[in-house]
Amino acid sequence: MSTFQSSSQKKGSTFQQRSLMLTNIALIVICFLMLLPIGTTLLISFKREQDVLRTPPVIFPCDTETSAFDLTACRWSIEGYERVILPQPSDTSPTGFVLAGRMLKTYLPNTLLYATATSFVVVLLSAMAGYAFARYRFKGRDLLMVTVIAITSFPLLTNLLALYQMSITLRKALPFLDERIFLIMVYSGFFLPISIWIAKGFFDAVPRELEEAAMVDGCSPAGSFLRITLPVAAPGLTAIFLLTFVGVWNEFLAGYLLISKNSLKPAMFGMYDFLGQNLVNAQLVAAACVIVAFPMVVVFLFARRTFFMAMTEGAVKG
Amino acid sequence: MSQASSVPAKGFVRPPAARRPVDWFPFWMILPAMLILLFIQVYPIFYTITLSLQKRQPAGWVFVGLDNFARLLRSSAFAESVGHTVVFLAGYTVLTLGIGFIIALLLNNGSVFSGTYLTMIFIPWILADLVVGVVFRLLVLPDYGLFSGILQDPSLFPPKGLSVLTADAARPWIAGFPFPPSPAMVYLILAATWRSIPFTTILLLAALQTINKEVLESARIDGATNWQTIRFITIPLILPTMVVTLLNLVLGGVNGVGMVFSLTGGGPGTSTEVIGYLLYSIGWGSLDFGRAASLSILMAFINLALIMTTLRLTRLRIKD
Repeated sequence: MSTFQSSSQKKGSTFQQRSLMLTNIALIVICFLMLLPIGTTLLISFKREQDVLRTPPVIFPCDTETSAFDLTACRWSIEGYERVILPQPSDTSPTGFVLAGRMLKTYLPNTLLYATATSFVVVLLSAMAGYAFARYRFKGRDLLMVTVIAITSFPLLTNLLALYQMSITLRKALPFLDERIFLIMVYSGFFLPISIWIAKGFFDAVPRELEEAAMVDGCSPAGSFLRITLPVAAPGLTAIFLLTFVGVWNEFLAGYLLISKNSLKPAMFGMYDFLGQNLVNAQLVAAACVIVAFPMVVVFLFARRTFFMAMTEGAVKG
Repeated sequence: MSQASSVPAKGFVRPPAARRPVDWFPFWMILPAMLILLFIQVYPIFYTITLSLQKRQPAGWVFVGLDNFARLLRSSAFAESVGHTVVFLAGYTVLTLGIGFIIALLLNNGSVFSGTYLTMIFIPWILADLVVGVVFRLLVLPDYGLFSGILQDPSLFPPKGLSVLTADAARPWIAGFPFPPSPAMVYLILAATWRSIPFTTILLLAALQTINKEVLESARIDGATNWQTIRFITIPLILPTMVVTLLNLVLGGVNGVGMVFSLTGGGPGTSTEVIGYLLYSIGWGSLDFGRAASLSILMAFINLALIMTTLRLTRLRIKD
């Protein structure tokens, strides 16, 4: 995408220069508006309770009795974060304290587990299926591919009733089975179809001469897949991994309904739970928001090109 | 795709027919994914269909035929939620497409910082819909939200200021159809738009970048104004992408409920109860799984129609 390289070589007329300047100004305003809700949430999360509960509300907790804004008098605080993570002194811990808040202790590790496990399953299975669809012509291939994409017509929301009943039946029939396995399977099932299509697209782009050369040299089909094709298609698989990871991290309803034990529920449930209990303590809710969303923003900033690529590929072609 | 099409049918390693009549390798490669899809996607579809024909009685599930559908279609909650969904989708798709298109045009103007702008504009997309709902809710908390000071000012919003999440809707202009929408619905539309703008922008920007610059240049030389160039050249050229984006937005809008959960909870009253939220409240609120299943089936048909239209439009090539 040329956007990321540099501007086009527009030089010369002042008219063009002025229009470019107007473009920049407009875009700066738009960026400001787009980031405004995030910025205000950050601001709220660093306020004290007294400053959150003020009418009329203040944007910066920096006013004094004499002036409306005094940078030296700002009353920033991490009270909200402290109340989310609840650090408590402990003799056994090497750092001298333990984090007792459920968000950090229970919900976020759960989400991390679900997102990582699902992403690995999806990458592996979609790479295998996508490769077979891209390289082989076999009976029923076209029908299977249409079925895979038609399945996306049934979103998680409409299948959730049946899945919920299935989870109850499973819990009764197989009480020893970890209920997390079912949730990971559900997530995998929902990210597989689009991932298979993305993977197929990437394998289509790998020249098959490469593989044929490997097979002429004595590689098995599986060997040529593992040693030749997989490394070449790695960026596509990274995209699948990241899209699935973010998707599972941000999913709320399935994690909330399909897991019965509170100690196994994901961070989005924790967030929802917080919201129900603490709406008056806006700094607390805002801090929980920041804690839940921050990892994904970091992932995005480091891998934004992969995301842009995967989105345009996935939405337009698949 | 073009390379794939140059090779004729059958597996691409063509083994001597006598020794290996069928190549089982692709079958084993596809099998695990298909098993999961069967268990998680296909089986629940049939399960939902059977659920929709049954009703839970104290003795167990009883077959009731299409009674669930009849009860659903007769209920006023269903009609209301369809109205809310239509209002929501109309507002949110028009706003998102319009703003996304303007931003994409600006980004395509060749500013040195376009990449940076795009990154910043994209951050809302990475946030969970539940988080977006919370973020927007904090802004308008009655009395304490940062915007509440402005919104609740009686001199700006007569007669007594506006408390977005609790204000009642105005009397509907058309009987039964929730228009004009309640302030909470307008706010929900704004929040949903905010989150969907990045997605729209990047798809439209990708389409804009495929337009040959010489076409635009020659139009300009022929004396076309900026607006004329956009209206008669740019928009027709990216129209297919716009339609695909629109369908994607509608799909996301019909099926996304996280934001309703954290922003309004369907309220005040039922003024933001969209169809997806109704599914949740029938299913898990009133535990009427049969009726919720019949609503699931109706929603699945909407989705199926949308997806099939998208596929037709993108001319997805399966036979290559």
